[in-house]
Amino acid sequence: MSLRSLLEKELHWSSRNALLLVFLLLLLPAFFAGTSALFQDAVPRSVPVAVVAEDDSVTDSDIEIIEGGLASFTDPQRVDSRAEADRMLERESVYAVVEVPGDITTAGESARFTLVVDGSVVPFLSSSRVIASLAETELDQLLAADITVEREIIGEEKQLPEYLYPSFLMVLVIFFAFSYVPYNIKNESVVLDRLRVETSLESVVLAKLLFFTILLLFPVVVFHAGSLYYGYEIASLAPGAVLALLLTFLLLATISTTIMILSRFSGVGLFVNVTLMLGVVALSALAFPIGFFSALRTTVAQALPTYYTMVITRSLMLKGSEMSMFTEWYAATVGLIGLAAVALEGSIIYYRRRS
Amino acid sequence: MTDTIDLDDVTREYSSVVAVDGISLSIGGGQFHCLLGPNGSGKSTLFRLILGLTRPSSGTVSLPSAVIGCGFQRPNFYPGLTVRENINVFAGVVGAEDWEWNNRVVTELRLVRALDRKAGELSGGFARKLDLTLALIKKPDFLLLDEPLGALDDVSTARFLEFLDEYVDRGNTVFVSTHRVTAFEPYVDRVTVVHQGEVVFDRASEEIDLDSEQSLQAYYVEQVLEREGVSPENRPPVE
Repeated sequence: MSLRSLLEKELHWSSRNALLLVFLLLLLPAFFAGTSALFQDAVPRSVPVAVVAEDDSVTDSDIEIIEGGLASFTDPQRVDSRAEADRMLERESVYAVVEVPGDITTAGESARFTLVVDGSVVPFLSSSRVIASLAETELDQLLAADITVEREIIGEEKQLPEYLYPSFLMVLVIFFAFSYVPYNIKNESVVLDRLRVETSLESVVLAKLLFFTILLLFPVVVFHAGSLYYGYEIASLAPGAVLALLLTFLLLATISTTIMILSRFSGVGLFVNVTLMLGVVALSALAFPIGFFSALRTTVAQALPTYYTMVITRSLMLKGSEMSMFTEWYAATVGLIGLAAVALEGSIIYYRRRS
Repeated sequence: MTDTIDLDDVTREYSSVVAVDGISLSIGGGQFHCLLGPNGSGKSTLFRLILGLTRPSSGTVSLPSAVIGCGFQRPNFYPGLTVRENINVFAGVVGAEDWEWNNRVVTELRLVRALDRKAGELSGGFARKLDLTLALIKKPDFLLLDEPLGALDDVSTARFLEFLDEYVDRGNTVFVSTHRVTAFEPYVDRVTVVHQGEVVFDRASEEIDLDSEQSLQAYYVEQVLEREGVSPENRPPVE
């Protein structure tokens, strides 16, 4: 019977592609099942906030009391100056600054706290109202003075589409690096013997990475045109943001290329790259501030370079921040590109030795 | 550095299979050199060892400081580009800027009318011609070809062999790996026969003692069958 023969053929094919099927049917489901555990909280319960004294009359013990009062619904971090707190706010190290006034322990006195939030971090604006209200209730019960918490929005208040614009661009960068680049490299495998004889794998890969990195300027320009069309007030061509995106693409494309070479240009390499792409998109906190999620997911996001690129891009496009604010993050990305390049060269050497 | 390609006691093993077993061979001297052997005899592995695409398990492959061009058993080019674009890309990669020569190669291989066709859509014969063109554009001192006549029509084969003969006359070395030597017989200067990864014989063509009316192909098959221990009465006739 032909159906039986065809089923037997599928069995033979599957047994000869067992590695691919193990990846697709066992490892990938396990990965996604595991990833779901990282989305524990639907409301922000551990948003990092900076706690800073409004003036010299505020004592260390006052600050400690406030930190204790805020700890049940935020992750308070004491800082020494408002300037430092503002810097953390701009780098999204914190999503709010709590200014602590003096006389908070004197009964009958009124003390007005200020919860400072950034107008460009749109998803946090609504949540910050809840946090201000919670803080007022909590601190009023805790302290002798009459407590009020006033919310102050600094910077230009953005709309949600404007806020998401850099996120979409970042998703595109990740998608391009982990899908098109590996696909293109896999197609190159049919001419690999001639390329290896006439030139070197290093030259082929270098040309490819440089070309695709430059090619990425086109979607950036398209996004800019889109922002002009919709009248969004974002600096979508901010040089620092474009540089961060290009560097990140180069890093991710180097990683995806390494995977393709290690997999000997096979379909397994494509699937591994697509899985990485999904993981990076899901775990980099591209759209929502990291405080919206569990501590574990925050840790995961902060371990990914794409998270930092997202913050840089958002800050430069939406807030008009200076590049110098993120110097060490740029340097770290360049360092990671160097490490990825070493791994890539290692994969090429391994490929040659296995040939 | 020598002026020949030298293999010294080269062995290549794949798991438990010995594809090439201690082969020593010298290629060069402006000869038309045929590497003969049945399927699975180790020809293609030897070819890849010479090109550096495969590493020897033991032994050494020494290459001269000369230009080496190669045509592959499975044509190697960018299927998404046109024939012309492939030629331009590889001419740029290898610095083959002598366009008069490049155009001559295209003409000799009767590839002109396929220049603007997508390489991935070429017939087997035209794909072979493109691969041979890419092997020749850098005017190699050593031209290594693995089964170069596969899918070529008779007219193209005759014209290409004349072209190769002239190419050898200019002092270049042509090294052809094949399992059918008949078409090459009038031109070949040296023959190396391999079987089961070992050299059966390696001789200049004038040193090969053919019976009257016996072809080189028949002689080679006879040698291989003898190596396999097949008695003369059980051997099939070979033209």
